Amino acid sequence: MGCNASTLAKIHNVDELILETGFSSSHICHLYNRFHSLDKDDKGLLNRGDFQNISELAVNPLGDRIINNFFPDGVDLIDFNSFARTLARFRPVEESLKKEPDSPEPINSRANKLKFAFQLYDQDKDGKISNNELLQVLRLMLGVQVTEEQLDNITDRTIQEADLDGDNAISFEEFKKVRAKLSGHFLASSCLTSDWDLGWGYGVASL
Amino acid sequence: MPVRDLLRTSSKLSPFQPRYEHLLLLVCVLGTVLPLGVDCNPSAENHQNNGTQKKSFPVLSFDYLHVRLPFEIALWILLASLMKLGFHLIPRLSNIVPESCLLIVVGLLVGGLIKVVGEAPPVLDSKVFFLCLLPPIILDAGYFLPIRAFSENTGTILMFAVIGTLWNSFFMGGMLYAVCQIPGTGLENVGLLPSLLFGSIISAVDPVAVLAVFEEIHINELLHILVFGESLLNDAVTVVLYHLFEEYAGVGSVTFMDVLLGVICFLVVSLGGVFMGILYGLIAAFTSRFTSHTRVIEPLFVFLYSYMAYLSAEVFHLSGIMALIACGVVMRPYVEANISQKSHTTIKYFLKMWSSVSETLIFIFLGVSTVAGPHQWNWIFVGCTLLFCLVSRVLGVIGLTSIINKFRIVKLTTKDQFIIAYGGLRGAIAFSLGFLLDKGHFPMRDMFLTAIITVIFFTVFVQGMTIRPLVELLAVKKKQETKRSINEEIHTQFLDHLLTGIEDVCGHYGHHHWKDKLSRFNKKYIKKCLIAGERSKEPQLIAFYHKMEMKQAIELVESGGIPKIPSAVSTVSMQNIKPKRALPQLSKGKEEEIRNILRSNLQRTRQRLRSYNRHTLMADPYEDAWNQMLIRRQKARQLEKRMTNYLTVPANHPDSPTMMRSRLSSDPQGYSLKLNSGNVPAIVVDPATPQSPESMKLLEESSKPGEEDQGIVMRAKLPESSRTDDNVFTPGEDSPKEQRLIRCLSDPGPPPEEEKDDEYQAFLN
Repeated sequence: MGCNASTLAKIHNVDELILETGFSSSHICHLYNRFHSLDKDDKGLLNRGDFQNISELAVNPLGDRIINNFFPDGVDLIDFNSFARTLARFRPVEESLKKEPDSPEPINSRANKLKFAFQLYDQDKDGKISNNELLQVLRLMLGVQVTEEQLDNITDRTIQEADLDGDNAISFEEFKKVRAKLSGHFLASSCLTSDWDLGWGYGVASL
Repeated sequence: MPVRDLLRTSSKLSPFQPRYEHLLLLVCVLGTVLPLGVDCNPSAENHQNNGTQKKSFPVLSFDYLHVRLPFEIALWILLASLMKLGFHLIPRLSNIVPESCLLIVVGLLVGGLIKVVGEAPPVLDSKVFFLCLLPPIILDAGYFLPIRAFSENTGTILMFAVIGTLWNSFFMGGMLYAVCQIPGTGLENVGLLPSLLFGSIISAVDPVAVLAVFEEIHINELLHILVFGESLLNDAVTVVLYHLFEEYAGVGSVTFMDVLLGVICFLVVSLGGVFMGILYGLIAAFTSRFTSHTRVIEPLFVFLYSYMAYLSAEVFHLSGIMALIACGVVMRPYVEANISQKSHTTIKYFLKMWSSVSETLIFIFLGVSTVAGPHQWNWIFVGCTLLFCLVSRVLGVIGLTSIINKFRIVKLTTKDQFIIAYGGLRGAIAFSLGFLLDKGHFPMRDMFLTAIITVIFFTVFVQGMTIRPLVELLAVKKKQETKRSINEEIHTQFLDHLLTGIEDVCGHYGHHHWKDKLSRFNKKYIKKCLIAGERSKEPQLIAFYHKMEMKQAIELVESGGIPKIPSAVSTVSMQNIKPKRALPQLSKGKEEEIRNILRSNLQRTRQRLRSYNRHTLMADPYEDAWNQMLIRRQKARQLEKRMTNYLTVPANHPDSPTMMRSRLSSDPQGYSLKLNSGNVPAIVVDPATPQSPESMKLLEESSKPGEEDQGIVMRAKLPESSRTDDNVFTPGEDSPKEQRLIRCLSDPGPPPEEEKDDEYQAFLN
């Protein structure tokens, strides 16, 4: 499975995609190959089942939510372009790019990344992380060894710490503030490639 | 180091009468120094003629010889410690001059004094250095290594350590050889291999010096771990190069085969060292699983296994430093889950104490050795050494960074590079390695030693002293003082999972993927073997949360109770409590019961404290009282319908070691609370405290008296008035030494119809 012009030709609107996502053409090729390897019945689209076939994702506590995030509301099949677009969020932020004041924010900007993370918490999409939603996330991550009461306490404590306007839920602004406190190095170190860019130099990451 | 800061703060408390202290110190110093000089004259008069005549029974005799060695050792250590005390008494000296410089100066003075007295000052014996003085420092560093930062930057660190050191050695060796070949310098007898050997000795960044200087400037974590990690990991390279060149310097030439063998040797040395360390670490962890009945010797296992790892590695000429680090790193999570609170504190303080003493001794001996050692000063050689050291370091860092930055997400800026280059300090390891050289093979050994000492002095004095103002000047990011809140911890874990998931979707096996796999493997198999009992199942987040609760509660206690809290600490929970609602409400009957229990136990404690059995650390007598109260509290809680306990920690097994541990993480610094703009209660998380409290099963709590000691026990003082919601109990009269118990709750206001009978609200465990 190489990466060449013919692969690129198969992709619909490839130039636009490259521009929009900021991936290089080799990255796009690799993603395309990956897309096809996931697409078992070769229909050119992915459904939820294909994602769930990834074994490691099955054991990931947030696996379902991640899968759901690939599929915007009501859509059950995604094509390669939206696949790439969702993944583009995780590209490292390019600080050096000059930004024109009125251009739309690049897809991998810090704000967009934070929004993505926020959406993973906020399942009902009301713009706030409520007590309940946080509880669910914690339950996912902590599994069965923890009692309900502990979870309740942690949830309460967490919301209390972050909640500034007293509505007992975390809004996006408050979320951003909490994340901002994480030191820069730490933030960036939570990235998909640490110092070693393995393999094909796919600089995914950096939230 | 926290011990140092402790000394600093204590010195601030006694600003008066500095002169007396200085005089005292001077007298002590003289007193310790002089015997060191005098001892070398064995008194011949000790021989007595046996049998010829009966001498009168000696009432008082002087026989110094038979205690000489331990006496001298003790004196040296005493001198070192007194010096440390002395520095912190002088008010502003420690801010300007790093301790290492002062200690070297003291060493110089002491050496000079000994020389004046007429004796030969002792030189830093390499064997003593490598076997006794270096291990505590490395173990301290390895045991408390920040794993996350280290593992995320491993690639960068390895690049600097391996390739950087190689570059430095060859550049320096080559350039010095070239300089020596210049006719007229008088250095023609320095061959290529000796030059390369010298280059390899002098090029290694020294962990002791780096620790000593960087500890005081509080630089940000990334730079600290880069320079420090480099200094630790370059040991393998240094060992291999040193042995390689030393072996072949006699022969005079190195073939390609030898180079290949050298490379293989490097891999064997480093990986072998790490493997040895991991092996001993696992054995130590396994041993600690069974120590629940002999708590007293738990710290000993930690120290012994680590030291054995170091020595075993040295037997095979593997990298002892890497073995020690690997042992500490592997051992720590499991040991900390198994041992008691007291043992944890002991380990921590012993390590800090030993490493502190070692460091002090090393620097003092460096000074003394400077005075003592045979010197051969050659302006050109020494000057060029110094110059090439700096140049090669700068070039190396710049070159490597340009390569490394292609792979890093967080690029290293120019400022970072400058600090990394500037922080490459040389120290006592270089000196000891030089000292080990055989004079027969290397006639220019004295010159080498002189050059090494000059470089060490230059780096420690000039670079050590100026790095702090430079850090200020360049506005390099300092260590973040705010500690993590639970929000951040949750988000961190969340992110980890998220990014692992995305990696899996992409099919890209990156950092997160392997980290996740490792932690899963760890949880499934290893923890079960190495951690005793229940604690093997505890998730990290819970441990963190409990730790945090404890700390906050302790802070509240120490800050003196609720009425002061709104001003000192604005925890969100406390905002809901008005100062007037000071104390919880207890029924009279309950109060009386508590009073009785506590009073009776109080007396028991006093008695217990007098006779302390060496073989068992008795469980505290409060345990029974605690258990009773806890059971009562459980029932109370079950009665309540709804309570928003913001700071509630559900009833825990009173013996949970982590609870105890986080209760008193021994570090006064750990309790500093900083208010930050987000109004998040900044909780100090001491990275050294272990992680896993027992999982809590409310209903299964059974008191196991005598199982574990409780560390410092919190006593509940009885409240005068009572209110339901919690708060801090103020101490009663009959509690001289007990600490106050905090119950923090932030119940905003109970609905009036609720029965607040049995609320011992949440409290810390």
